[in-house]
Order: sequence, then C-alpha cells, then structure tokens
Amino acid sequence: MNILVCLKQILDPEVPVRDFAIDASGLQADPACANQVTNIFCENALETALQLKDLHGGKITLLTLGPESAEDALRKGLAMKADEAYLILNDTEQLPDSAATAKALAAAIDKLDAFDLILAGRESGDWGAGQTGGLLAEELSLPFTAFVDQISLEGEERLVLRQQTDSGWKSFSSPKPTVASITNSDHNLPRIPKTRDIIMANRKPVTTWSLEELGISQDSFPTQETKARVRQLSIPEAKSDCEFIEGDSVEEKIEKLADKIAAIARAV
Amino acid sequence: MMDHSEATREVLWNISNGWIMYALLVPTAAIGIYGIWKRFQSWKQGLPAEGRLDNPGKRLRFLWQHALLQRRNMRQRFAGIFHAMIFWGFITLTIATTVVMIDHDFGIPIMKGAFYLYFQSLFVDVLGLLALVGVALAGYRRWKTKPTKLVYTDEASMILILVGIILATGFMLEGWRIVATNDPWGAWSPVGYATGIVSAQFFSVETLIQFHLWCWWFHLVLVFGFLAWAPYTKMLHPLTSALNIYAANLEPVGASLKTIDFEKAETFGVNALKQFTWKDLLDLDACTECGRCTDACPANTVGKALSPRDIILDLRGWLHEGADDEFKLIGSTDSLESDRLFECTSCAACVDACPVSIEQLPKIVDMRRFQVMEEAEFPETMQQAVNSLEERQHPYSGSQFSRADWMQELDIPHASETDDAEVLVWAGCGASLVERNQKSIRSLARLLKKAGVKFSVLGRDEKCTGDVARRIGNEFLFESLAKENIDNFKKHKVKKVVTACPHCFNTFRNEYPQLGADFETVHHSAYLGSLINEGRLKITVASERRIAFHDPCYLSRHNNLTEEPRDLLNSTSQVAMTELPRNRQNSFCCGGGGGMSFVDEPSDKRVNHERAREILNTDADTVAVGCPFCTTMMEDGINATKGDRKIEVREISELLDEACNGESNT
Amino acid sequence: MSDTNFKVITAAFSQDLNAATAGLLGAGQRLANDAGGTHIAICCGSIDSTLSTQISAFGDRVIAIDSEPLARAEPEAWLSCLRSISAQETPDAILLGNDTLSQEITPRLAHRLNGASIGDAQSVTIDDGAIVITRSVYGGKAIADIELTASPAVVWIRAQSMDPADKNAAPGTIETVPLNESADLQSHIIDTHDEVSEGERLEDAQIIVSGGRGLGGPEPFEELVSLAKVLKAQNAASRAACDLGWVPHSWQVGQTGCKVAPQLYLAVAISGASQHTMGIADSKAIAAINTDRDAPIFKHCQFGLVEDFQQVVGPLRDKLSDLL
Ligand SMILES: Cc1cc2nc3c(=O)[nH]c(=O)nc-3n(C[C@H](O)[C@H](O)[C@H](O)COP(=O)(O)OP(=O)(O)OC[C@H]3O[C@@H](n4cnc5c(N)ncnc54)[C@H](O)[C@@H]3O)c2cc1C
Ligand code: SF4
Ligand code: SF4
Repeated sequence: MNILVCLKQILDPEVPVRDFAIDASGLQADPACANQVTNIFCENALETALQLKDLHGGKITLLTLGPESAEDALRKGLAMKADEAYLILNDTEQLPDSAATAKALAAAIDKLDAFDLILAGRESGDWGAGQTGGLLAEELSLPFTAFVDQISLEGEERLVLRQQTDSGWKSFSSPKPTVASITNSDHNLPRIPKTRDIIMANRKPVTTWSLEELGISQDSFPTQETKARVRQLSIPEAKSDCEFIEGDSVEEKIEKLADKIAAIARAV
Repeated sequence: MMDHSEATREVLWNISNGWIMYALLVPTAAIGIYGIWKRFQSWKQGLPAEGRLDNPGKRLRFLWQHALLQRRNMRQRFAGIFHAMIFWGFITLTIATTVVMIDHDFGIPIMKGAFYLYFQSLFVDVLGLLALVGVALAGYRRWKTKPTKLVYTDEASMILILVGIILATGFMLEGWRIVATNDPWGAWSPVGYATGIVSAQFFSVETLIQFHLWCWWFHLVLVFGFLAWAPYTKMLHPLTSALNIYAANLEPVGASLKTIDFEKAETFGVNALKQFTWKDLLDLDACTECGRCTDACPANTVGKALSPRDIILDLRGWLHEGADDEFKLIGSTDSLESDRLFECTSCAACVDACPVSIEQLPKIVDMRRFQVMEEAEFPETMQQAVNSLEERQHPYSGSQFSRADWMQELDIPHASETDDAEVLVWAGCGASLVERNQKSIRSLARLLKKAGVKFSVLGRDEKCTGDVARRIGNEFLFESLAKENIDNFKKHKVKKVVTACPHCFNTFRNEYPQLGADFETVHHSAYLGSLINEGRLKITVASERRIAFHDPCYLSRHNNLTEEPRDLLNSTSQVAMTELPRNRQNSFCCGGGGGMSFVDEPSDKRVNHERAREILNTDADTVAVGCPFCTTMMEDGINATKGDRKIEVREISELLDEACNGESNT
Repeated sequence: MSDTNFKVITAAFSQDLNAATAGLLGAGQRLANDAGGTHIAICCGSIDSTLSTQISAFGDRVIAIDSEPLARAEPEAWLSCLRSISAQETPDAILLGNDTLSQEITPRLAHRLNGASIGDAQSVTIDDGAIVITRSVYGGKAIADIELTASPAVVWIRAQSMDPADKNAAPGTIETVPLNESADLQSHIIDTHDEVSEGERLEDAQIIVSGGRGLGGPEPFEELVSLAKVLKAQNAASRAACDLGWVPHSWQVGQTGCKVAPQLYLAVAISGASQHTMGIADSKAIAAINTDRDAPIFKHCQFGLVEDFQQVVGPLRDKLSDLL
C-alpha cells in the first residue's frame, strides 16, 4: 500500500489561557505565545497508516504545507517511521484557508507517485475547520470518508473504512485510491518514536517545494484561493471568577442551577 | 616467672610428610586462581568506566572505612556486628597464617617472644572465638529467624557450615597440641587451652596425639577445599567487595548516571551484559546477597515486585552462565521484567544501603534507557509526560498554568532585564505548573524580597531541567533540554542559582557540569538559612508547630544535605522538632521521583501512603517538605490516611514566610 | 436591505423533526428573512409524508425527495442530489446540521458548486451583503468572525443550539425533483451499527457528571448516575473516589486518568486538585457543587453552587427531567 499522510503543524492547543495572544494583524494567534506541535489528529492518521504498513507493507509519504518550522512535524513523522517527507513552503505571514491549502496539497500530490490511500486529520487543533480532507478529495476527484477510525483491505481494489458516527459507526466500501479524514480512537494512539529513529530522521532528506514549483503563484497565495476570510479574531473575556449561584432558599438555587445546566444540555 | 622472650611453638608439630601440604597447595591455588581469573575475564567484557581508579588516596581511605572498619555494614545492628566478628576474625587468622609462613618457610624468626604471646596466641585466639560466635549467630539468623531479605541457597548454608568446622577444628588442633606438648605458654591461647584441658578429661595423651594427626589433615583439606571453591561462590566477595569499594563512586549519589555519546554508542541503554561497564559487572560479583537494598526499597516495601537485590543477583546469574552477547537481559527473569524496572522511584535507598557500594539505581536506569530509547516501550502515562516534555518542555500535560503565573504581581525582573542580581531563582515545572506549589514559590520570592536580595528569574524561558526525562530513561531528551538550559544560563551570564526543587538542584549541581555548565546551585533551604545567619531575615513570630521534616531523597541521599533544612525549620517554631523514624540518609521516599509522579500506582501499593502512616505515628502536627513532588505526594498521602487527625503539609518557605511575616497564605 | 433573489437552502437528513432539524430550519428561516429572500427546506420523503408536511410550516418552499439511497444516508447520493438541486436553484447559502453526514459533505458540496465552506458555525448572519459566521477557534480560546467570500456559502451549524423556527403564516409549497437514480456510488455503506448505550468513551462525552471523595461512599454515586441519565451524560470520578473502590478506575479523570473535553463538566464534591483539573482543562464549561466555597475547583468554574450535595442532587435531577 502506498499511503500519503497530510500533516499540519499547529500552535500547541494546550497553551495556557493566560499565554494565548493574538498577533499584530489581529487575525491569527501570535505564533510566539506557545510552541508549534503536530496536530494530534494528523498523528492519529499517521498511526493508522503505520499500522496498515505494518500489516501489508508499502510506503508512507508525508506532506505538509507550512513555514520552515513545519519541517519539525515532518521529522517527527519520519521518526515514527514514515518513509518520505515533502514540505510545501509557505512563508507568507497570512494563514491560508482550507480551500487554498487543499489546492496546494493537491498540486503536490499530482507531482508524486500514485497513492492507494490519502489520509488527513479530521480537523486541526487551531482553527478546527475540518474542511481540508473533503476539499482535497474533490480537488483530486476521489471518494472521501470522514471521521474514520479503522481501515482494512477488501480484496485488491477496495478498502473498508469505518466511520465514527453520532450514534455508533458505519462501514464504507470504497475503491482505491480514496481519501479519508481520521479521528482518534483507542487503537490509533500515535506511537512514541524510538530515539535511534529520531536521530536517523534528522538525517533523512526532506524535500521542500516552493509554491511556484507547484504552479501556484507565491505572491497571490493564499489570497487568490481564499474563500473564507477572517474578519475579526477576539479573545472572549475570561470569566476567571466563578459565578456563585445565590438565592434565598436551597430550592431557588437548585432551580437556577437546573436552568443553567439545561441550557447547555439542550445545545448538545 | 618464665622469660617471655623464649616463648614460641614448633610449627608442623606431629606432622610428617609435610611436603604433601605443599604439593596440595599447587592444585588448590590453580583452581582458585583460575576461578578468580575467570571472574576478571567476565568483568573485562564490560565497557570502560570513567574515573573509577583515580584518586587512590581517597579511595584507600574509603576502603579503610567501609571494608576494614565495616562502617556501612555496621549500620545494621545484628547482621552488621556478627559479620564484623567473622570478618575481623578471618582477617586476623589470615595474618597469623602469614606470620607462620614467614617464620617457618622463609626462616625469619618472628614468631616468638611477646609478639608470639600477645598477638599470635592471645589475640588470634580471642578473634577466632569471635569469628566462631559470629558464625553461630549467622546460623541462628539463617536457620532460625529467617528474615525474608536473605537469599536461601544451599551454597550459603554450605559456606557457613564449612567455615564453622574450619574454626572449630582449628581450636581442637591447638588444644590437643598444647596438652600433648605440655606447652608452657598454652594458657596464652585460652580457647585452645580450654579445649585441650577438656579433651584431656576424656582421652589419653596418646589418643589426642593420634586425633591431632587426623584432624590436622582434615582441617587442611577443608581449608584448601574452601580456598579452591570460594572464588566460584559468593565467598569471592571479600575480594570483589574490596575491589568494588575501592572503585566506588566517590561523587554524591546524585552524580552517578552516565552520559551517552549518541554519535558513537552502538546501543542506547543496556540490554546485554557487555553493554554495562566493567564496574557494573564487578558490582554483580561483589554482592553478598545481604538483601539490605531490597529491604530499603520503597517500591518493594509497599508490595510492588521491584527488588534491587534480585536484579543484581539475576544479572550475576547470567554473568556466571556466560550469557552471550546477543542474550537479552530485560524480561529474561521475573526481577528483570520491564514493568518492574518502571516501578523504581530513583530514590537511591538501595545504593545507600549496600554495604559494598553496589550501584543498583544506575543499572535500573540503564535498562530503562533501553526500553525507552530502543524499544519505546514504557508505561503509557510516562509516555504522555515524555511527549509533553518534547512538545512543551514540561511534563505536566493539561496544566492550565503558564510558567509566569506564580510571579504575578510580585514584580520580579527577568534575567535579561537586570545586571545586578545576586542570584537567579529557578522555579522549575513542579512549582510553576502545579497550582498548590505556586504558593511555596511565592513564599520564597517574598522572603527574598524581604531580605533585600536582588534576584531575577527566567520565567517563560525556563525549560524542564530534564530530571524527569533522565530518570524515566530518555537520556536523549534530557541532553537536549539540558543543553538548551545551559545555553540560556550562559546567555544571561548566570553565576548562582537558587532553587526550591531538589531534583532541579541535583541536576544542576551534579549533572549539568558533565555537559559543560559552570554555575553554582544552592537549595533554597541552605540559602534562606544563610540569610538568617547574616541577619538579613529575622524571625518575628516563631510558631507553635511541632514539625517533622520529610527529607527529600534528592537532598539527603543524593546530595548529603540534611542539616540545613532542619536548622531553618528549628528556627521557625518554639516547639522542638520531631524526627521521623526514617530520617536523613535513611529517609523514606515520597514515591514521586523517577517519573513515578506520572504513573498511577495501584491504590493498595502507594509509597506515599506508607510514608504518611509513618508520619501519622509521630506527634507531629506539621509535615515540612522541601520538594514540589514531595508536597503533592505527602498532601495526597496524608489526606487519604489522616482521618480526624489535624496535620498539615507545609513547604519550608511557607513555614519561614509565616514566621517572618506572620502569615503564609497568598 | 432586501434581496428577494436571496435563497437559503437547508437540508435536513433526519427522518423526523427533532431538535437539530428544528434549529437548522430556524437558522435558515432567519437568514432568509434577514435578507428578505426565500428559505428552501430539503428533506427526504414523499411529498405527502408527515415530515415534509411538518417542515412546510417553516420553509417558503419544501423539496421532498423520495429515494432509497438518500433514506439510507449515503453521502455520495446526497452530494449529487444537493448538487443538482443547487445547480437549479443557485442558492446563496446552504445550511446543514451538525450530524456526521452533514459535516462530511459540507466541503465537498461547496467545492462542487465553486462555493465556500465552513463548519461549526455558532451564528450565521448577513453583514454588508456578505455571509459571516461566528465560530470558536483555538480550542475555545478565541472567537472568529469569518466572511465567506465565494458563493454559495455551505455551512454546517451547531443546529441544536439554534432557536427553533417560528411557524410561517402560511405553509410553504411542497414539491419534488426527479433524481438520476442510476448514478452509482463509488463509495457506499456496507454496515451500520448503532451503539445501544450511547457513546461509552469518556473522552467523547458531551456532558460529564463527576463525583469525588466528598460523596462519602458508593451510594451517592447511584444518584449521580441517575442525574447523568437525565442529561444523557457520562459519569466520571476523581482518583480519590476510584481508589476507595466506589467506582471503577476507568472513571478516573485527571493527570493519570482520562483527559476529557465535554461541553459541561459537573464536579460534585470534588476539591479540584491540580492533578484532577489537568484532565478537564479542555471542558467548555465547568460547574461544581461543593460545601467549601474556597475549594480550588471553583477557580475553574463558570458557575458553582455552595451546598451540600445531598440536598441538591435529587431535586436537581427532578427539575432537569422536567426541563429536558
Ligand atoms: C501522582 C498523582 C497523580 C494523581 N492523579 C490524579 C488523577 O488523575 N485524577 C484525580 O482526580 N486525582 C489525581 N490525584 C489525586 C489528587 O491529588 C487529589 O488527591 C484527588 O483528586 C482528590 O480527590 P477529591 O477531590 O475527590 O477529594 P478531596 O480532595 O478530599 O475533596 C473532597 C471535596 O468534597 C467536598 N465535600 C465534602 N462533603 C461534601 C458534601 N456533603 N457536599 C458537597 N461537597 C462536599 C469537600 O469540600 C472537598 O472539596 C493524583 C495524585 C498524585 C499524587
Ligand atoms: S532507587 Fe529506590 S525505588 Fe529504585 S530500586 Fe533502589 S530503593 Fe528501590
Ligand atoms: S546489592 Fe548490596 S545491599 Fe543488595 S544484596 Fe547485594 S550486597 Fe546486599
């Protein structure tokens, strides 16, 4: 099996609230407020691919779009024992939206060998849009399944993808090649790389492509492709103070508490 | 009055064909020396060990104290004393035999006169008796009281019986000779003399002469047999433990982990004998099977399977079996199961307890390294901590705090903002990212301000020192974190660091210098103490707390720092301190070191609960702690076990803050 | 501003008019009204099915489609169906719900229509003639207003949290469209499994009712279980409670337990030690019931009640079962 895994490097989602800050543009988080880490769902996707490779052999290729620092995410993936890595260098300050990202990824995939399976994370821990996988499938005119937590072979030509749904799961049969976005489950917890593999990964080549090399104009990226534009980004006022429910009687307090809980429960 | 200068005795009295003895000596020596040579060969397969033979003066002194004076051994009353009796007895007997040899074989007449009477007769006789009593006591323990820490093998029993018979027949030979020769100096060997007198009540002199002859050859065969056999048993330990004590780690225990050259090392960590150093392998042969390490081990004490003694003995088993290079140690026996290796809190109680300076902990860490770096197989929650260390340079995944939170409103300059700071205060992950401990570090900062100390911090630029990573076994991660911190210290020209975390303290003091760091580190208990001594801090309201101090392993055992915290605590209260039964170097771990803070121990096997029960058995109303891990662990343990008892866990700075300011809670 | 050509399509995949469908229709209707345009509601069923009739109260037009693959919720079938309807109707916005199918097809439909897509919208409005949605980003640490610059805007919304629609004065028309049934599906469903007990994984729970040592024993946990049932929530516990054997260790949340991210984490008689709160940092809202006003848990709470749980839990459950 020839598998491509799309990775994204994001701002550490565990950044403490007090450290979180918005940059000068006012439209994205300040990258200096925390470390950059690999998006967890992308790691789940890589783990899924690694398990398929462990079972059936084949090759795993990593692909990311990002600044130079995104190479770290690729190196970590290589340390987990992916075979090759490609970085589409985007050093504009401006974050691309999902549509622009999918276009760039698709252009890179076109340049590479044919794949049997293309995986992405279900969404990223920064913007959490969850659009890229589906858009990429459309760019490539391939079938797509979202929220997949297990993949198995069905003969030579097809794959079975298990989708986590609201109420359980569904299995899809899909012809190769296919695109899937991966969600976390208890059997795709990313493996811890071995130290020797980390050292080796630092010596492996990472191919860097400029957008130009993919036929995308650097100057107008991502603006030309963008279909969703951030108008404003704001930090909600941190209500660090707990609102203590007060009232004349216990009954009254319970009633107020129930209202608050019910409001949230209804929204779920 | 007889002339003392005449006193001596005839060597080889009653023995003809004495040449047979010399003839037997050849095969005995050959077998024995072959045994020793084989052991040497097996140690030589190990890697080089650095700095184990330097500084001979210091090493000889160390050897004198712990081998000859049996210092460490004597820490255990019963076993220590009988072992010393046997040990000194045999040393004396060996000297006496050498004297005979010099006198008889080399023809230098030294065995006469006062020397003969006082040493060769009286002293040797009395020490021989002590040795015999020692053997009897050892037998009593082995066959009667049977403590669990001992290893019960036929070999050990055989050795004890053999040694007993050799000593007893020695006295018989002496006694019978005295009676038969009517030795005028006989009474100078009281035990032998008494044996002779008693024997003469039952047997004629002729019979005793006959007995003497048979017994002499019997004794000789036993002694030679023993000498030939000993190098193949744990009775090699008089030699190996002496060598081992000579080659001991002279640095603090906290400096005993080795670095790895990642460019050159063939394997990271140890999973085969030849991946250990020769000193590690010598350690194995030095073990006397006394079991003190396992007895002291907190994990073992609370019912976990980890046993440092069994680790040493099982490794030795493979060494003796000549396990080949490919043989994988981890998982090869129960005691070498990976799970057990990850129960170790790195408290070093085992290292401290060992009478012959064996270093169990570094071997455990070596094998952990293999599991972590080569296999990536270790407890999942430790993996989470390691992952967090890689991604955000602290192990507390999920913490909602930033490293700058504790210093809010305290207005402390960053190291880059000031040139005239006397010290840099290093908070560490445990203090800044765990809510409870922010209180402690704030107390420390307030005290320093009150004393007018100019200090700075690194705040968000702090990265984990790497202690957790190193003890878990991820040396690679440790090294990279350490180098980043060292660079940062250099960049800010830091000369002196004060920290409230013994783990950071140990890492800075003992481990960073291995990687090129050059700054001084002080634990806050010592630093605050000096501020009081200099009069910069004054106690205004000494409390009425009865304080018991829980010594952190990384201060007491790893760094021999035990009095500074006590002096400080004593000054904060009008009431005398209480000592816990296990204190100072003998302190019992809180359970939080070695990455164990990131593992959920089974609820009936918690180290902190064991320690909490010990504390609750004293009359203390305050447990003073000097380590963020200890704070968490002791608070958790005390809360789970205290019932209605009123008792609080307080960090050293909090208590001092209270005594200097009359309040502590902010 | 009034644009009578403005069209909003809502597509409900559910077979009945549940809260999510009602919220979706409400959002569609309000958006259409804001623009002064038309709201077209699409549903699966025959023209005279109960569902289409019900829905016609909230849409200006209802397109009911009776098709077997659509009823089976085949993503590719819905994709081509919505695509052909949209090609016909050229809507400005297409709103979908927050079910798995909606989330899956949102980007694909947008791409096929050359439109823009976005998910998890908490509100959809028209501002200066542009469609702008609000959503929370960076794990809830920030809120973004995002303008969709291509048309149509395909958006899946948090349908359940939207207000339901008001009934129109007159029911909308119900029509149907012919479908090209022969289009075969490349990828198709081969098995469906609905879990009997909904969502067992604590990590995925939307509401969690958690208990601690302050409960004093295993019995009060039964009350928390029944409270959780009313809320369709999962139960969890502090380590202290697990250690005491009151509940299984799989319930443990925290540094050495499970890390959870529910919409609401209700901590009953839990003090809130750091080791515990490290497991609940990603919760959208935390609430606590505790007798101790100074318990650290309240520092992490949006709201809290200082009371003895014994007086609260029972009545709270009864009250909530009335409300929900
Ligand atoms: C290494 C390590 C790892 C740990 N990992 C975890 C972990 O993963 N998860 C975890 O939860 N803990 C963990 N802990 C334990 C943690 O430190 C706390 O001890 C534990 O969370 C306390 O549980 P609790 O809040 O239920 O109990 P307590 O701290 O005893 O709190 C009980 C609370 O109940 C309140 N209360 C009492 N009676 C009533 C009443 N009638 N009505 C209302 N409220 C009442 C009290 O005011 C109090 O606040 C860990 C500890 C260590 C040392
Ligand atoms: S270091 Fe401590 S926990 Fe580890 S084996 Fe030795 S005594 Fe046991
Ligand atoms: S390692 Fe040391 S303490 Fe442990 S059994 Fe051997 S000699 Fe005794």
